[in-house]
Amino acid sequence: MALISTRALTKRYPGGVTALDALSVEIDEGVIGLVGANGAGKSTLIKILLGLLEPTEGEATVLDLNTATDGARIRELVGYMPEHDCLPTDVSATEFVSHMARVSGLPAGAARERTADVLRHVGLYEERYRPIGGYSTGMKQRVKLAQALVHDPRILFLDEPTNGLDPSGRDEMLGLIERIGRDFGITVVVASHLLGEIERVAGWLVAIDAGRLLRTAPLTSFTERTGQLVVETEEVADQLAERLTARGLTATATGRTMLVEIASAGSGEFDVFDAVRDEAVALGLPLVRIEHRRHQLEDLFRDEGAA
Amino acid sequence: MTAGTETTGTIYDIGYRRYDGPRLGRSGAVGAVVQAGVRAVFGLGRSGRSKIIPWGAVILATLPAIVAVAVRVLAGEIIPDLYSYNNYLWQIGGLFGIFLAAQAPELVVNDIRFRVLPLYFSRPMSRFDYVAAKLGALSLGLLSLTLLPLLILFVGRVLAADDLLGALGDEIGSLPAIVGSAVLHAVVLASVGIAISSLASRRAYAAGAVLAVFLIGGVISEVLREAGGAFDDWAPFLNPLAIIDGARQWLFGGVVAESPVGSSTVPLPVYGLATAVLLLGSWIVLALRYRRITV
Repeated sequence: MALISTRALTKRYPGGVTALDALSVEIDEGVIGLVGANGAGKSTLIKILLGLLEPTEGEATVLDLNTATDGARIRELVGYMPEHDCLPTDVSATEFVSHMARVSGLPAGAARERTADVLRHVGLYEERYRPIGGYSTGMKQRVKLAQALVHDPRILFLDEPTNGLDPSGRDEMLGLIERIGRDFGITVVVASHLLGEIERVAGWLVAIDAGRLLRTAPLTSFTERTGQLVVETEEVADQLAERLTARGLTATATGRTMLVEIASAGSGEFDVFDAVRDEAVALGLPLVRIEHRRHQLEDLFRDEGAA
Repeated sequence: MTAGTETTGTIYDIGYRRYDGPRLGRSGAVGAVVQAGVRAVFGLGRSGRSKIIPWGAVILATLPAIVAVAVRVLAGEIIPDLYSYNNYLWQIGGLFGIFLAAQAPELVVNDIRFRVLPLYFSRPMSRFDYVAAKLGALSLGLLSLTLLPLLILFVGRVLAADDLLGALGDEIGSLPAIVGSAVLHAVVLASVGIAISSLASRRAYAAGAVLAVFLIGGVISEVLREAGGAFDDWAPFLNPLAIIDGARQWLFGGVVAESPVGSSTVPLPVYGLATAVLLLGSWIVLALRYRRITV
């Protein structure tokens, strides 16, 4: 049985906005990227899974518990880091996180111990005794993560966890998420509209668009080879493309970039590499790079948009 | 090599530890919010400044009872009692407004202002649980102003008597009225205070609004009563403390001469009704306010 599963989940808000449209998906252990543009329904899905919103139609289970009837039990076993600011300013991280641990149901002693542990894991040390109001955005994001993690949840829902962070803060947050999934053994569902970040941490992707499931598959299958070579040259590649076409290959040049179909050669990929090299040498055209073109996550949404 | 050198200067990363201890669920969550709320009401674990008003109010509220007991011990029953179980809460009423204005906003305003509520609601706790826990915490805090002084008076009267058992027999009959009045005051005041505070965007605004309702309402009510005229009978209904005192008189008896309720001809059950309206009105405001919060 999957950790999370939804069946024909639909959520229509009053006013006619359809946030989720008959979404059926199964999610297993690991770090799962929930990707989609802003407004695709990511946050709505997370809130339904937490039992905070009622679906208009369909149903969902988390850890084999029904979100409509066992919400409180689910919320005891999962952690949630919202997208928006959610921290009071006048208490310290230690006080706040340990209070949240107790609200999750931990006894006082355990709450204190785990607060110390978790704040260390997210990298808050001396500053944890100071009021949160004086923290940087990066430190606040760590406190938000710590409060979601403090009760040792089975599943962690992170909504845009790198929001507002500078590049180094972003790297650290992604590193933390990776560690939580790999070393802590907690399943992490990361909702993000930034594909580049999801690519770094997730092993499995759930892509949604306008409330519908686009695709759910391992990350690798999203980025597999396309059967084309990308050739980048120092000058315009038109002549090179013409010469390759004359040799029976399918090659198209746009400016200094050229795409060559590998299959079109009817022979192995190395023949294509050789042909590109030979013709470039004949033309005296300096090459910058030759590589297999891979699908990019963006293609997923681009193709959908075109269709 | 001295003892302890092996461990100094090294932090051992013991890795992530799982938690498989008890999870107390909804009751644990509510208990935690009540406990944290009571601590906040008394400024415990906070700066000295946030303790001034709550502890000052507790001292001022209990001082008359302590003095009355001391007078009773020293002078016996020669000097008539300044305070009875009936008029005590009316006499110290001004403290309620100040205490509420300072401490009710403390409990609810920042959770709304800084959007902390989604973190509560994504735990084993509902909106209803949250509001009930906050009301419970403030009510418990208010008992230090309403129940504590009356109990001091009660214990003092018993202990000051020559015949302890006889005095206990005389006084014990008042205990239900003491506890009942104290709880009535605490619950109604807490509900009104939290309801008003939940509507404010800053603690200072909330404090101002609570003060306005309790102090200004009381003043206008007094002015109207002094002025006489067509409305003087209904003047007490502008003062929440007079409304609650009327309900107390209706439920537990004991007329208070100083209270405007005594000089009004409106029958006591109307005060009971008005108190119920205050209580239910506050709860309806809270239900609507917290339902509107999006998670």
